[in-house]
Amino acid sequence: MVALIVIFISGLLSLFLAFAKKPWLVLLTASAGLIAGGISLFTQFYYQYDFIHYEGLKFDGFAVAFGLIAILFTLLVVLTGYSSFKDKPQHTGDYIALLLFSLTGALCMLSFTDMFMFFLGLEILSIPIYVMAGSNKDDVRSSEASLKYFMTGAFATGVLLFGIAWIYGGTASFKLDEITAFIYNAEGTHSSLIYIGLLMILSAFLFKVGAAPFHFWSPDVYDGSPHIVTGFMAAVVKLGAFGAFMKIFSVTFAGLHDFWAPALSVLAILTMFVGNLSALKQIRFKRLLAYSSITHVGYALLTIIVQSPDSAFNLWAYIFSYGFSTIGLITVAIIIHDEEDRIEAFRGLVRRNPFTGFVAILGLLSLAGVPPLMGFFGKFLVFSEAITQYPWLVAIAIINSGIGIFYYLRMVILVLQKEDDDKPKTPRHKVPVLQMIVLAICALALLFGGNMLIF
Amino acid sequence: MELLIIPSLFALAALVIPRNFMRYFGLAGGVTSAVVAIVHAVYYAPTTKYVSLFDPNWTSTFGLSYKMGYDGISLIMVVLTNVITLLILLSNFNKELASNKMFTAMVFFMQVALLGVFTSMDGLLFYIFWEITLIPVFLIALWFGAPGRKQALIKFFIYTFVGSLAMLLALMAIKTGICGNLPAASFAVEDLMAVQLSACSACWIFGGFLFAFAVKIPLFPFHTWQPDTYTNSPMAGTMLLSALMLKMALYGMIRWMIPLAPESLESYKLPIIILGTIGVVYAAILAIKQNDIKRTFAFASISHVGLIAAGIVLLNVDSTMGVFVQMINHSLVAVGLFLAVDIIESRTGIRNMSELGGIAKQAPKFAFWFGVVALASISVPLTSGFIGEFLLVRGVYSYNWIIGLVIGSTLVYGAVYTLRAYQLSMYGPSKNFNFPDLTWNEWLVFFILMVLIVILGVYPQLVIDFVQPSVTRLFENIHSSKILVQ
Repeated sequence: MVALIVIFISGLLSLFLAFAKKPWLVLLTASAGLIAGGISLFTQFYYQYDFIHYEGLKFDGFAVAFGLIAILFTLLVVLTGYSSFKDKPQHTGDYIALLLFSLTGALCMLSFTDMFMFFLGLEILSIPIYVMAGSNKDDVRSSEASLKYFMTGAFATGVLLFGIAWIYGGTASFKLDEITAFIYNAEGTHSSLIYIGLLMILSAFLFKVGAAPFHFWSPDVYDGSPHIVTGFMAAVVKLGAFGAFMKIFSVTFAGLHDFWAPALSVLAILTMFVGNLSALKQIRFKRLLAYSSITHVGYALLTIIVQSPDSAFNLWAYIFSYGFSTIGLITVAIIIHDEEDRIEAFRGLVRRNPFTGFVAILGLLSLAGVPPLMGFFGKFLVFSEAITQYPWLVAIAIINSGIGIFYYLRMVILVLQKEDDDKPKTPRHKVPVLQMIVLAICALALLFGGNMLIF
Repeated sequence: MELLIIPSLFALAALVIPRNFMRYFGLAGGVTSAVVAIVHAVYYAPTTKYVSLFDPNWTSTFGLSYKMGYDGISLIMVVLTNVITLLILLSNFNKELASNKMFTAMVFFMQVALLGVFTSMDGLLFYIFWEITLIPVFLIALWFGAPGRKQALIKFFIYTFVGSLAMLLALMAIKTGICGNLPAASFAVEDLMAVQLSACSACWIFGGFLFAFAVKIPLFPFHTWQPDTYTNSPMAGTMLLSALMLKMALYGMIRWMIPLAPESLESYKLPIIILGTIGVVYAAILAIKQNDIKRTFAFASISHVGLIAAGIVLLNVDSTMGVFVQMINHSLVAVGLFLAVDIIESRTGIRNMSELGGIAKQAPKFAFWFGVVALASISVPLTSGFIGEFLLVRGVYSYNWIIGLVIGSTLVYGAVYTLRAYQLSMYGPSKNFNFPDLTWNEWLVFFILMVLIVILGVYPQLVIDFVQPSVTRLFENIHSSKILVQ
């Protein structure tokens, strides 16, 4: 709870400090708030204060583990984004404050104990994103992204609320543990209310994480939003949505596993194929990232389908590795700063800016799952847990990893290639210090983080 | 541990060494690591069971045991790797490439990864090193290769990556338990071997490994990446691919595929031998029809390894000895042939055999040494090729005489395509090239190759005595830890 308050207040502070017209002050406040929030979250868990459990919120191990990486990713996104905020200094405070508010929502979504808090968290998470997606006001695509995300998102929220109402109708409770107990006690004799509610909640979740067939918003929104927002959506929003997904489906609805698992398996397969096959022909970087993220959602769904005590850790490890790759790549894209956001702009990067190119290659190969990078270990944990229960599902996931290597490799080759001689040479990109730090953190994590995951 | 650390240090140092010293530095690194490997080999008594290089005596919660070490089988591959790397560096010595820091670093990086593959005694570690080897060879081919390399390289990378994923699936299946097996305690080789597999899971696990190795060897229907990749890589890349990476797969079959799932060896034996035989004949015919001299030798390589793959699955000590002699011979011959191809290509700019000819008159030394390597490739008696192919063909013949006859025709085909390539390029009317003869480093490479080839051809016992105890022990382990259905 302290963490929530600290982060929220630092968000508010940065909103008002923006009046001082000193962007670095805002950055300082936000970073300090994030670090303080992280520390308090950690100590709260470590010392087990008695106020760990609130009405509606509970910071258990799950929430703390996921919350810490959410805070870390937000910090990285803020640091990365700072230099691009500088183009519009008057908006620095708005951006950072909205990012922090959204993070507050994500933390709620990781720690809720009743459906009511869950819904609140989801809205707190989403509304700042609706705003930020459209923050690039000169670009019509940004407005389109914002509108599209808002319309579809609002619809999904509506479906979710309706689902929660059905669940309430079936179990007479909003509280997760009461719903869990109800489902276990009434084994096999549930009213159809629960099933309908479950399906509605499931479809809302699939929408939020961007899984097929509810994925259509994500390429457009990823593509239209400013880079930082895309990075934040890919890393933190997905994390929050997946955390809540796991809390509700692997714990609360675990008793109905036989009912939803087959459906979710089919959708996971569909998601992998849709993401991969659409990514093959993309020419814009953020669209590629969007489709690749759809595929990764497909892999991550395996952790929810598989019922095992390690599922939560596997999901955590997977999102951890995915987040670093995405944030690294987004940072590289911000550095390249191509108006059209073409993949082609990556050509010859490693010759212009060796380190930036190196991180781009690490990020791509990690997404592809090449050992010994972190992405490989994330995938490995997920697959090796799933193989005992769903060997065929893992086989399909492996085939998809094989398809995926094609478009990642194409980009890796582009990064490594020489520039064409007949075209004017792109000058060396300037890399601000903060982005350099982010790149270095991502590179270290991608190179050595994998070993930590399987300790 | 110094086996791996020395090349890693050289790889890192290569990034900061000034350009002028780069090629001497590369050579020094090659010599150092080769000497270290040979010292290891000298101090290794063949009856020793196992020498540990690194063993933290600890397993991560996930089962990665980090064990590294070698027995005779691994050590011979380690020595081979280091000697071949030295030869590769030496044969590039007078080229511009040798002064490139990325090239030198990548060769050493490749060496580290290969040594890791050969000394890993842990399944996951083996997989990780196996995948890492892809990166340096890919980069060497991408940065320094021929113009048409991009498509070929994408094909190569995807093909081998998908193959390796199948291996990963098999490793995960055997570790975590599938089809009702008990899970293994860790990824260490002895723990994985101790798992008793049911018929269904053994079949899948064997198949997963086989797919990975068949792509890399390459066995007949999975070979389509190979000619393009070989032709489009620079000389060093081709040598690394054919002389070393391919051996990884053969080594993997002996060390991992058969010991981990011997239950289904019987059902896979005939298909593998038949695929190998088809590969031998099919690739030989294609090699005869080629006009491009590098492509000819690329297909020749497929043709030779088909026989080796067939020899491995026979699972008897004699043909396994043949496998080892032939693996070493194949590496030496590959280095020699591709060096010769590169000498021709870099001096005339032509690889098309119908436009070549008469080189022997201008460069008699080159013609002689190329001839020596070509003869070794044909497996003339007194060269190592003869011993290896003899043992292998004999093994296949005693398994099934019809297949033995067909696979034995490799000796005839080999003579046809090698001599054809040799004759078309070396003899005939001179085409007025300015063809300078061998430089000292090229001569030295050929000389070392010849010495090794003849020594192995006259006294193959050198290798056989070295490997045999380990192989016998491995087979005993296979029989004792698993109940084989004969």
